[in-house]
Amino acid sequence: MEELVPIIALGVFVALFGTAIVVVTSLIGPKPKQNDVKDEAYECGIPGQFSGHSKVPVKYYLTAILFILFDIEIIFMYPWAVTFGDSITEGYGLQFLAAMGVFIFIFIFGLFWEVKSKALEWE
Amino acid sequence: MGSDLVEVLINSVKLVLIFLLMVQLVPILVWVERRGSAFIQNRYGPNRVGPFGLMQLLADAVKFVFKEEFVPGKGHKLIFYAAPVVALIPGALAFAAIPLANTFHLEPFMFLGESWGPYDINFQGYNVGIGIVFILGVSSLGAYALLLAGWGSANKYSLYGALRAVAQMISYELALGLSIVGAILVYNTFDFHSIIAQQAGALSFTISGRELGIPFLPNWGIFYQPLGAFLFLVAAFAETNRLPFDLPEAESELIAGFHTEYGGMKMLMFYLGEYGHMLVASALLVTFYFGGYQLPFVSHVMIEDMLKSFGLGINMANVLTAFLFFTVFMIKCLIFLWIYVWVRWTLPRFRYDQLMDLGWKTMLPWALANTIVTAVVVFLARI
Amino acid sequence: MITGYLFYMLAFLLILFSLGVLMHSSPLFSSLNLVGSMIVLSAMYYLLQVPFIAAVQLIVYAGAVMVLFVMVMMMFDLKHEIKIFSGGFISNAIKCGLAGFFAFTIGATAFMSTEMISGSAKVKTEVLSVKSMAQLLFKDYLIEFEVLGVILLLVAVGAVALSRIKGGTHAS
Repeated sequence: MEELVPIIALGVFVALFGTAIVVVTSLIGPKPKQNDVKDEAYECGIPGQFSGHSKVPVKYYLTAILFILFDIEIIFMYPWAVTFGDSITEGYGLQFLAAMGVFIFIFIFGLFWEVKSKALEWE
Repeated sequence: MGSDLVEVLINSVKLVLIFLLMVQLVPILVWVERRGSAFIQNRYGPNRVGPFGLMQLLADAVKFVFKEEFVPGKGHKLIFYAAPVVALIPGALAFAAIPLANTFHLEPFMFLGESWGPYDINFQGYNVGIGIVFILGVSSLGAYALLLAGWGSANKYSLYGALRAVAQMISYELALGLSIVGAILVYNTFDFHSIIAQQAGALSFTISGRELGIPFLPNWGIFYQPLGAFLFLVAAFAETNRLPFDLPEAESELIAGFHTEYGGMKMLMFYLGEYGHMLVASALLVTFYFGGYQLPFVSHVMIEDMLKSFGLGINMANVLTAFLFFTVFMIKCLIFLWIYVWVRWTLPRFRYDQLMDLGWKTMLPWALANTIVTAVVVFLARI
Repeated sequence: MITGYLFYMLAFLLILFSLGVLMHSSPLFSSLNLVGSMIVLSAMYYLLQVPFIAAVQLIVYAGAVMVLFVMVMMMFDLKHEIKIFSGGFISNAIKCGLAGFFAFTIGATAFMSTEMISGSAKVKTEVLSVKSMAQLLFKDYLIEFEVLGVILLLVAVGAVALSRIKGGTHAS
C-alpha cells in the first residue's frame, strides 16, 4: 500500500515542525532564574494545598469503559452501512436489516439499562 | 507517492502546502474570532496594528517566540514538551485526507527540457480509500495530547481539565461516529471523492423505481440527512472543546484546564491543534452534507470547457478550475468556522452533568434513531 | 519494493515500542509505549492491504482502549509502588527470570515459525475487502455476531457493577 508513504511522511514532517518550534522558542526565550514559588503548580496565586495527585472519581473510568463498548458496537455498523445498498440490490437486504436490527436492539437495551441503573449520572 | 520525479515533487509540495494552509488559517481564524466577538459584543476588538488589526497576529507570533521558557518544577519535562507536538499531528493527518478540490488532469508538458506527464492530480494530501474511517481513527488520537499535557504539568487543575476533556471527547465521539452511519447508508461508500460525486446536480430521490426531482435545490446530503448533519455539527463542537462545551477550560473552576501551565509558542500549538480539529470538522461537514468542493449545478467539466473557449490552454484551464473549486470549498468551510464563533457568543456554557447527559442520553439515542430510520427508508426506497 | 522497506521500518519500530513496554518501570510510560506500538500495528495492517481493519485498530485500540489505560495510569499516584518494584534483590531476580523466559519464548517461536514457513507456504493471499468482511459478519457468522452484542452488553453490566463495589481497599 503505497499510500502509507505520504501519511508517514506528513506525520514525521509535522512532528519535526512542532519539535523545531519548541526547540527554537526555548533557545530564544529568556530564562530567568527559577525559584520555589515559581516552580509551584499555578493555582491563581494561592499557596498549593495538595500535591499534584489526588483521588479521582471512578466515574471517569466507568465512562471510558462504556465508551469502549459502545464504540466497538458502532464500529460494527460501518461495514454494514457501506454494504447495505449492495445487499438490497443483490437480494438479501432483509437479512442484513434483520441482522443489524437485532444488534441495534441489544445496543438500545444496553443503553437503556445504563440510563436506568444511573451509571451515566454525574452529580 | 508517485511514478516519476515530478509527480513525487508535486505530491510532496502538496502535503507541505496543505499543512501550511492549516497552520496559516489559524491566525486568521483567531483574528476572525476576536473581531467577530467584538462585533457581536458591540466593541472594537484589535484594530490598531495594521489594516483592521490584521497585523496583530504577526505581532502576537513574534511576542510568542520571545516568551520565557518555563517548565513547572514537579512536571515531567519530556512529556511537558511532547504534548504540544502531539497536539498538532492528528488534525494535520486528518485534514490532509480530505479532498479540497476536484481531481484535475494535466496533459504532458515540458519541464527542464524533458516531457513529463500526463498526470491526474488529487487536490488532497493522500487518497486513503477508507476516507472517513481513517479520519475518525486519526482524530481519536487527539485525546493523548490533552492527557499528556494534563499529567506533564503536575498541576491538579491541569489533570482534572484533561480528564474532563477526555471524558467529554469520548462521550461525543460516540454520537459523532453514529451520526455518520446514516450518511454512509445513503452514499454506500467511505470514499470522499465518491461521496462528493454523488452530490452533483439537482436534488432527486429514487423511490421504488420512480424518480422525484426538485430542480431548484442542489443534491446535497443535508436534504437526505438533516438530523444527521445537525448531530454531527453539535458533536463536532463538543469534540473540539468549543463553547458551549468548553468545560475543560472552565476558568471559574479549573483556571484554564489542561494548558494552565503552558505559555508562549507551546500554548499556541495547542491552539493550532484545536483550530485544526475545527477545520477538519467543518471540512467533513461540507464534504458529507454540503456538496464538498462542488458548486451547485455546475460540474468541473463545464467550467473547464468555458475557460477553454476563452482561449486558455488545457492545463491552464484545468488548474484554474481546480483552484476555483478549492476556493468554493474554503468558503463553505469558513462559513462553518464562522458558525463556531457565532455560537460561542450565543449559547451559554453547559454544566458538566448537563453536558454528559446531553451526550449520552440525548445525542446518542437520536443518532441511533437516525440510523434506524435511514436504514428502513433506504431499504423501502430501493427494494 | 517500497512496501518491503516500509515493512522492515515498521517492524523495527514495533519491536522498539514493545521493548519499551517491557523495559519501563513506570506503568504510565509502558502504556504510552503500548500506544505507539498500537499505532504502528495499525500501519502494519494498512501495509497488509486491509485498510478498514487498520482504521478499526486505530479507533478501538489506540483511540479507545489505550486512552482508558493511560487515563487510569494518570489517575493514580504510583511513585511509591514504582519505588518498591524497581529495586531490591527479589524484584531484580524476578525481572531477570522473566526476561530469560521471554527470550526463550521468542527464540522458540522464531525457530518454530521458520520451520513452518520452510515446510509449505500456505499463506492466503486473498485481500479481505470491507464487502466480503460484511458478508462474513452478517451472513456466515451471524449468530456469533449477535452473541458478540450480548457479550458487550454483559461487559457493560459487569463494569457498572464493579464500579458500585464499596469496601475492600476502597472503604472510606
